Amino acid sequence: MEPQLSWYLALSAVLFTIGAAGVIIKRNVIQMFMCIELMLNAVNLTFIAFSSFFQDVTGQLFVFIVMTVAAAEAAVGLGIIIAIFRNRESLDVDDASILKL
Amino acid sequence: MATILFIVFAGLAIGSAIAMVSQRNPLYSAISLIGVFIALASIYVTLAAPFIAAVQVIVYAGAIMVLVIFVIMLLNVEQEEPRRRRLRFLVPAAIGMAAILIAETAFILYSVQTTPGQMPRGLSDVGLTYSIGEGLFTGYLLPFEITSILLLMAIVGAMSLARRTGFLSANARVVPGTQVLAMDIVNPRAVGDQRPVQTKTSNEAAHLLGVDSIRDREE
Repeated sequence: MEPQLSWYLALSAVLFTIGAAGVIIKRNVIQMFMCIELMLNAVNLTFIAFSSFFQDVTGQLFVFIVMTVAAAEAAVGLGIIIAIFRNRESLDVDDASILKL
Repeated sequence: MATILFIVFAGLAIGSAIAMVSQRNPLYSAISLIGVFIALASIYVTLAAPFIAAVQVIVYAGAIMVLVIFVIMLLNVEQEEPRRRRLRFLVPAAIGMAAILIAETAFILYSVQTTPGQMPRGLSDVGLTYSIGEGLFTGYLLPFEITSILLLMAIVGAMSLARRTGFLSANARVVPGTQVLAMDIVNPRAVGDQRPVQTKTSNEAAHLLGVDSIRDREE
């Protein structure tokens, strides 16, 4: 039995759910950041699966752009994390719950 | 054969993802996340997308995760503090929301039955590098250029965020010798706190103030 399209969608849904649960459960900023990366990857898997099953290159182009956005997000997000750590001496999101330094 | 590969790599991806969420140490989470990326890259290869698989390994598992691990090691937080009591209720809330999300996605899977189930047979050039490049530079040229501007903005933003923005100016100098400073000068968060903080040496005072001027003065 060949892999069906819905298998890939199910895998993507499971990964996205694990990432979303991690964002809610985790309190370390860096781990929350990594969970967001996992969610982006789950969406990428959906794009690739549809692109491959419909024989359309557009999905893979969008994955390319999503990866670029993820790289930009990593650069800016880690800069923000370093700025938070300098001001609070902590990576716990509960210590950064007010919008001022 | 394809089914076996899918099951192996899907299991690896899900197991690594669960390990990532359940780890307390951010470094172990990062390594588990690299496992997820490698498994997903393998799945992309079985989906006839070799270019994206290579980019996944190079950009995600290479560049982005190296940056994350670099930041983890730079900040070097020893141990996670014990869990605070008032946040206990978030775990069942997260499990409930995850169940709702799974139910929604299961509904979508159920209603997506009209899509073609089988992978199309025969050779195709969809996942190859030249077809991706052709699409990127013809039909999708504008998103490509917008992406380059986004990267430029990310570079500028990351530099301005990570720059040392002390509350003292960059050319501030520390008076040599023993001194007494007010608490709200040493710690910008303690606004209005005038308790004295005594420092024994000017090096110590410079460290408290975040000014590394001692070396400059001696040179």
